[in-house]
Parts: sequence; structure tokens; C-alpha cells
Amino acid sequence: MAMVRQPMLFANLPLGVRRLLFGLAIVGICFLFAFPVLWLILTSLRPESGVYYVHRGTEFTLGNFAEVFQDERVVEAFANSAVIATLATFFSLLVTVSSGYMLSRFKGPVSSTWFGTIYIFRCVPYISWVIPLYFVAQSWGLYDTYVGLLLPHIAVHICFFSWLMKGFFDGIDPSMEHAALIDGCTRWGAFLRVALPSAIPAIAALGVLCWLFTWNEFLFALILTGNRVPVITVVMAQFVTEMGLRWNLMAATAVMALVPAFLLALFGQKYVIRGLRL
Amino acid sequence: MAAISLAKVNKHYGSLHHAVKDVDLEIADKEFVALVGPSGCGKSTTLRMIAGLEDISSGEIRIGGKVVNNLAPRDRDVAMVFQNYALYQHMSVYDNLAFGLRNKKVPERDIKAAIDRAAEILGLHELLKRRPRQLSGGQQQRVALGRCLVRNPLVFLFDEPLSNLDAKLRAQMRVEIKRLHAQVPTTSVFVTHDQVEAMTLGDRVVVMRDGRVQQVGTPLTVYARPVNRFVAGFIGAPAMNFVEVTVGEGKVSAPDLDLAVSEPSGAALQRYRGRKVVLGMRPEHLVLGEIAGRSFEAAVEVVEQLGSEILLEARLGATRITVARVPAEASVASGDRLRLSVPPGRLHFFDPETDEAIAGS
Repeated sequence: MAMVRQPMLFANLPLGVRRLLFGLAIVGICFLFAFPVLWLILTSLRPESGVYYVHRGTEFTLGNFAEVFQDERVVEAFANSAVIATLATFFSLLVTVSSGYMLSRFKGPVSSTWFGTIYIFRCVPYISWVIPLYFVAQSWGLYDTYVGLLLPHIAVHICFFSWLMKGFFDGIDPSMEHAALIDGCTRWGAFLRVALPSAIPAIAALGVLCWLFTWNEFLFALILTGNRVPVITVVMAQFVTEMGLRWNLMAATAVMALVPAFLLALFGQKYVIRGLRL
Repeated sequence: MAAISLAKVNKHYGSLHHAVKDVDLEIADKEFVALVGPSGCGKSTTLRMIAGLEDISSGEIRIGGKVVNNLAPRDRDVAMVFQNYALYQHMSVYDNLAFGLRNKKVPERDIKAAIDRAAEILGLHELLKRRPRQLSGGQQQRVALGRCLVRNPLVFLFDEPLSNLDAKLRAQMRVEIKRLHAQVPTTSVFVTHDQVEAMTLGDRVVVMRDGRVQQVGTPLTVYARPVNRFVAGFIGAPAMNFVEVTVGEGKVSAPDLDLAVSEPSGAALQRYRGRKVVLGMRPEHLVLGEIAGRSFEAAVEVVEQLGSEILLEARLGATRITVARVPAEASVASGDRLRLSVPPGRLHFFDPETDEAIAGS
């Protein structure tokens, strides 16, 4: 007898009604997630006087965007965020991929010590890193520099994403690398020429996650940077001043900040889903 | 062209797991040797030590007279076929085949010639542009064979290459490997848990258990003269029947059984006179009907009609025995009592304590 999945709830309702309820639920959930974003976009299009009447104003303007981009700090912050996110992604992938590979393929004291170390760091609440990091950055003269923000990001990525990478490599059959060893590769060669190409979807997925993580990150940026290295998340928050809240400008900046993340998620989605499934 | 020699080879994993124990084995040039045993018997580990994928804890392995203990896999000039094919998923079949040769910096023209030749032998021509994912299991395994073939190595190593294939394909590939070895005679070591594969493919069969070699011999030797009860039970299908019997004057007996024992095993059995030994009878050697002094009665419990023959499960005293090769047309039903006989020369005896073979009559 074939197994038939029995819908428990609403089983008595006619099919059309069930479909309708299902559709409504989906629309409802989408709305729940999309509403803040829609509100943000609307706000960014209203003149300053209209931000408290977003829902019933009729005046729309692109002036906020123009105003925001006349501010050099905002432009600089975008550039900084992009550069830092890209560099952090690049360097953390460099470590994460090989460390995930080591965790997956090699057993022994080195591997288990490394495993223990990142395990401990991973368990420490993210927020509790930031004050010590501030003092370290200060004393090393790294406060408010690219490197001072980059290094903690790379460290966080390594701790969080080595595990994911280990999982990906666990899913790749090691006998492929054994075949490569017999076919004339060194251990490094087998990793670089056989294991790595098979992990490309996973690496792409991880790259997207890393990039978005750093692009969106606020806490480290807030504590570890000052005026010299503005980044977008911090600059956005600085529209809250003693003179008042510039909601329209903040919204315009936020919408601009959404765009690269949105594009990356849109085009990277295929890889993220495939990679995470690997 | 190379002989392989293993001398007192051991493999320890940590201090607790002793996977391979004092294995001695001489494999002649161009010989096809099958390592067979139940899972966990150390056969794959032995193969992987020959390949260089596992370190050797102690002992010595030579390939072509050269000690290879400390050589990396790539320097041993061996080729290996894996259970799950282990094809490079991101490369086309052609690139898979070329991979080993490109590592050796062989000119592309020569690589193409080698691949053409291998593709000819294995019928891979239409597959060369495809990716491994687009191939069936049988095709993938043929590509894996091809990858070994183009390298023209000293030794072929096979690690259960047929166990992921369905029964029909497995039989086909078995023939294909046999044909390949005839066409391109190369020293080969074939690991399998399937005794049929071992028997059909191997020039010699090495039976392993718990990390130790139990017996090395031609398929016929291990079948006809197993050195102990394990080998006797492992080789042959259905498995050999074992009955505990008491040794008497020129015969052995159990409550429902009296069998005359002919020379020369009678002489060997004399040491056990009055004591119990284990009698082994292969299911296919039991025949219906009476042979004077060599018959006994058994009660049929299950009848399995295979079309070509009948398999019987029967009860002999307290022991269950299997009878094979009963003619398909024979009228047997469960509950019947049958007279069964063992022709001379078909009895095996084992020491009940050591499980070693005493003698075959």
C-alpha cells in the first residue's frame, strides 16, 4: 500500500478553501518579512517633513538619496565597507577552506587542538569579544584602522565558518583524493586539484555569507572604528544626532546599503542553497 | 611488471586496534590475487598499505623488488580502483583518464594515444566528453578501470570495485575484469567480501580473518582442502554444513548418523578416537539416495525451488543442514524424511578446539 500523507488540520475543508488558506498564510509570512523593508523604502522616498506620515503622504522625492551622496562620509563609508567586506571574505576563505579541510580529513593532536580552540571561541557570546578587542586594538595601535577591523572579522569568520566548511568536506568522498594521490599528486596537490574544485559551490556559498556578514556587521564596527575609517552601518546610525533624527536620510542610506546585499543574495542564492546542501 | 612481497606486515590503529597481523604474502608477476574475508578482516587495510594510503606499522612491502614502505603513493607506480569509483567529479571522462599521465608530464599526443587504446578496450569512446555524474554505475566503473589502464602501472589494486553494482552488472563486470587481465596481464590484487568474485577472478585466493591470513591457494585448493573451519565455511555457497560427531573404529557417528570413513583420513582421525570432532559436508556434495555405509536420514523443513535445482533445509538430529543440487523435478515436500549420502572423498574433519582441519577423506 502506498503511503499517503494525511493532512491533519483542515482535512475536512474543501480543496479550494485549503489552497486559499495556504496562499493567505504565505502572503502573510512574506508580508511580515517584507513590511519593514517596504516601510524603509517608502520612508527613503519622503521629504523630511513627511517621514511621520509615511502611510498617507502623497509627496515623493529622490532628494534624500542626492543629499546623502553629497555627504563625503557616506560615500567613503560605502567604499570602506565594500573593501573591508571583500578583504575579510578573501582572507577568511583562505584560512577557513584549509582549516575546514584539515578538520574533516586529519585526525590527531593538531587537528583536535584547533577544533577545541575554535569551539571555545565560538561558544563565547559574540558581544563579549568586543570590549577586550577594543583594548587590544588600542594598545597595538590598530584602533580605527582597516586592519583593526579586518582582523577581528577574519577571526570570527574562521571560528564560525570552519565548521560549515568541515561539513562540506565531510560530504565529499575522500577516495577521490586517494585516487589523486595514487595518480601522482602530493597531499597538497590532491587538496588543490581535486578536493577544492569539488567544493567550489560550498566555497561560493561561504563567500556570500562572509561578505554579507561583514557588510551588515555593526557592533565591531561601532566599537573598533572612529572617524578615520567610517563604515556604512555606523554612518547610518549617526543620522541620530543631538539636532534630532534624520529618518529620511537614514532610510535612504539604508536602502542603498541594501542594494549590494540584495544583489549578492539574488545571484549568490543558487550557490548558497546548493552549497549548504552539499 | 612486478612481483609484490609482503613480509610480517602489521597495522596498528592506536594501541587497541590491531587491524593486520603478521601478513606474509608473495604475489608473482602478472598474477591475479584475490583477498577475501568478512568485513573488518583487514583485507582493505592490507591493500591500502600496498597502495601507500596507509602507513605500515611494522614489516616490509616490496613492489618489483623495491622496498616501498616509505614511498608516497605517487612514487609506487600502482593504480587503484575504488568501491565508489572515485572519479574526479569536476572533470570530463577524458580528463579523468588523462589526469595521471598529465601528472607525469607525458606529452598530450601520447596521452591521447593511451586513452584511445583504453577506450577501445573498455568501450568508452562515446563517454569521453561526459562528466562522471552523467554516467551509470557500470560506466563509471569502466572509466575507473580505464584510468588505471592508461597509466600502464606495475600493479593494479582493486578495492571492492563491484560491490556498488547490481547483481547482473556485477557478473558482467567480473567477466570484463577477467578479460582485461587476460588482455593486459598485470600484477593485480583484488579485495572483495564476495567469495564468488574471489574464486572466479583469482589465480590464487587469500582468505583473511581478524587481520590474519588463513589460507592462500588456488580457488580449487581453498575449496577442496580448506585448512580450517572458517575457510571451509566461508568459501562455497551455500555454506558448508557442520555436524559434531564422535570418532569410532573406521567411522564417525552422531545420534542420527553413522558414516564410514575411508583411508587416508581414517588414519589421521585415529588420534581422535573416542573424542568429538566437527564433520563438514558441503551442501552440493550431499546426494539423494543410499550409498552403503555413507548414508543418513534427515527431515526436510524448507524446500526452495530455484528452477535449476532445489535447495533443502533439513534437520539432522539437533543440527540444521542445507542440501543443494537436488534435481528440480524431484518431489520433495517439507516434513519428508530423506536418505542422504556423501560420496567418498567429500568429508572434512576439524578439530573442535583449534578448528584446524584434520584431514579430508
